[in-house]
Amino acid sequence: MTLALDAPIVTEQRTKAPVVRLLRSELRFMIRRPRTLVAFGVLAVAPIIAAVAMSLATTAVNNGQISTDRQLASIASIVAGNGMILPVFVLMLSMVMLLPMLSSMWSADALAGETQTGALRGLLLAPVSRVRVLAVKAFGVAVVTTLAVVTLTVFGILAGLTILGGDGLLTMSGTTLPMGESLGRVALMAALVTIQVWAVAAVALAVSAATEHPLVVMASTLGGIIIFTILNNIPALDWLHPWLLTDGWDSLADVIRDPMPTDGITDGLLRAVCYIVIGYSLALARMSTKDG
Amino acid sequence: MSTVTDMTIEEEAPAVSAAGAPARLAARTRNLRKVYGSTVAVDHVDLDVPVGAVLGMLGPNGSGKTTTIRMLLGLVLPTAGSVELLGHKMPDGAGWALPEVGALVEGPGFHPFLSGRENLLRVAAAEPRLASKDIPRAVGQALERVGLTAAANRRYRGYSLGMKQRLGLASALLVPRKFVVLDEPTNGLDPAGTREVRAVIADLHKAGTTVLVSSHLLAEVEATCTHVAVLHKGSVVAQGELTELLEAGDSGLLVSTPDVTVAVNALRDNRIPAREAPDGVHVDLAATTAPEVVATLVRAGVAVHEARRQRTGLEEVFARLTEAADKGNGLSDVDTFEEKS
Repeated sequence: MTLALDAPIVTEQRTKAPVVRLLRSELRFMIRRPRTLVAFGVLAVAPIIAAVAMSLATTAVNNGQISTDRQLASIASIVAGNGMILPVFVLMLSMVMLLPMLSSMWSADALAGETQTGALRGLLLAPVSRVRVLAVKAFGVAVVTTLAVVTLTVFGILAGLTILGGDGLLTMSGTTLPMGESLGRVALMAALVTIQVWAVAAVALAVSAATEHPLVVMASTLGGIIIFTILNNIPALDWLHPWLLTDGWDSLADVIRDPMPTDGITDGLLRAVCYIVIGYSLALARMSTKDG
Repeated sequence: MSTVTDMTIEEEAPAVSAAGAPARLAARTRNLRKVYGSTVAVDHVDLDVPVGAVLGMLGPNGSGKTTTIRMLLGLVLPTAGSVELLGHKMPDGAGWALPEVGALVEGPGFHPFLSGRENLLRVAAAEPRLASKDIPRAVGQALERVGLTAAANRRYRGYSLGMKQRLGLASALLVPRKFVVLDEPTNGLDPAGTREVRAVIADLHKAGTTVLVSSHLLAEVEATCTHVAVLHKGSVVAQGELTELLEAGDSGLLVSTPDVTVAVNALRDNRIPAREAPDGVHVDLAATTAPEVVATLVRAGVAVHEARRQRTGLEEVFARLTEAADKGNGLSDVDTFEEKS
C-alpha cells in the first residue's frame, strides 16, 4: 500500500485531455456495454425475422386481408420477390419504436445514467469542461445510433436478397430500379433515418441532462413520440402538424417512389435539424448549471 | 506523537510567504453559502486549507461537509460567496486548478460492468496531465498503491465496499497531485483498510501534498490530521491546528504512583496544585512544567510509574463546540481557535 512509485509519471502541462482520446474512450465504453451489444443483436436479427414474416405474410396480403395501416400495407404488397424493399420496410418499422427507444436509451445512459453512478463527477473532476462532456456524449450517441441504422440496413439488404430474392427495387410507382440505384435509394433512406434518430437522441439528451434517472429520459422521450403520433393523426390539429417531429417520418417512404418526390423529405429533414439544434441547446443550457 | 514537528512546519509557513497571505493557502472559501430550495445546506463558510496541511473536516452527517467540498471542486455552484482553489477562482479556473487536484467525493463512481482496471483507464483518458503512453503505467501504479492489483481485472460489480472505496482512492491518486480531497475515505473499510488509508494520507503529507479529509469519525481526524475544521449545521464553528484545538481545553499531567497521598503533599509543599485522581495524581500545569513536577516527586521519594500529559480528546472539544453552536453563540467560537499569526 505504501509502496513507492517505481518511476515518476510524466505529466504534461495542459489543462485539457486530448479530445480524440476522450472520444475514443467514450466510444469504446459505449460499445462494450452489455446493453449496447444486446441492442445490436436485436438490430441484426430484426430484419431476418421481418424477411421470414414477410415471405409468409405475402399470401395473406394477396388474399385481401390487408393491414389497416395504409403505408405499411402498400409496402408489404410489393414485397414478394423484391428483396431490396426489405431494408426500407425494416427502417420504416423501426422508426416507429425500436430506433427511438434505443437512441433514448443511449442518451439516457450518457448523462442521467452517468450522474446516477457518479461517473460523470469523475469526468468533471478530471477536469473535462461541461461543454466538452456534452460534446463527447453527443458524439458517442451520434456514432452509436448511426451504427444502429447501418446494422439494420446492412442486415436488411442481406436478409432481403437471400430470403425474398430479387435483383432490383420495385418502387411503389410500379417501376423497377436497377441494383446500383436501388442501393443508392436504400443508402439515402438510411441517411434520412439516421438524422431523424439524431433528432430524437438530441431531445433525449436534453432530458438526460436535466435528470439523474435514466428511466425518466426513456419514458418522456417515448411518451413524447406517442403523443406526437396521436396529435399527428387528428386532422383538426393540422395547423400543429408542421411542428411535430414525427410528421416527417411518413414521407420517408417517398424514397421508394419513382420519380422521388422531395418536398416531404426536405421538410422532414429541416424539421429534424431544428429539433437537433433545439435539443442540444437545451442540453447545453442545463449542463452548464447541472450539479456534478 | 509527531505533532511537535508538524507544528514547527506550520509555524514556518507564514514566514515563507509573508508578502501575500493567500499564496500559502491551497484552498480558501469566503462567505460560502448554498441553498437548495428552502434548505440552507451551507452558510457563512470561511474555510482555509494551508499548503502542506492535512485538514480534517469534521462534522456529523448533514453538517455540510460534502456540499462544501463539492463547491470547492466546482461541482456545485455556490448560491453566494467565493472559492479559490490552488490560487484559481472556482468554478471558472477549474481547467487550471483541477488537474492538480485528486478527489474522492461522495463515494466512488464507477461502472459495474467494467473491471477495476478498465474503469481507471476510462478516468485516466480524461486526465489532462497524463500523456497517452503513460496511461497504462499510471493505472497499474495507482492500483498497486491501494492494493487492488490482484482484483484489477475483476468486474467492479463484484467488488466489496472496501474495494470500491480503494478504487476511488486510486483514481484520485492517478497523477501526482498538489492537493488531494477525500470525502469520508474510510467509509466501508475494515480496520486494516482504514490503516492503509491513513498510511496513504501520511505518505501524501510527507511528500508535501495538501490533503483535505472529511469525516464524521473523530478518532480518524485525531489520528491523521494536522489541522481541523469543525462544521455544524452548515457553518464552521472552529478551525485551526489540531494541537492548538486540543490544548485549548484544560491540560494537566497525570502521574501514576502507588504513593498518592505522599505525592499530593510533596507537590502542594512546592506550591504545585495537585489532587487525587482515580488512577493516580492529577497535576495542574498552569504554573509549572512536566519535568519540574517529576523532579519534585522524585526528590520527595515518590515512585513514579508513569507521567503523561492529559489532553482533552477531540470528542470533548467537538461536543463543547457543537453545544455552544446550538445555544446560538457558535460564531464566537471561531475566534477562540484562530491560528496565532
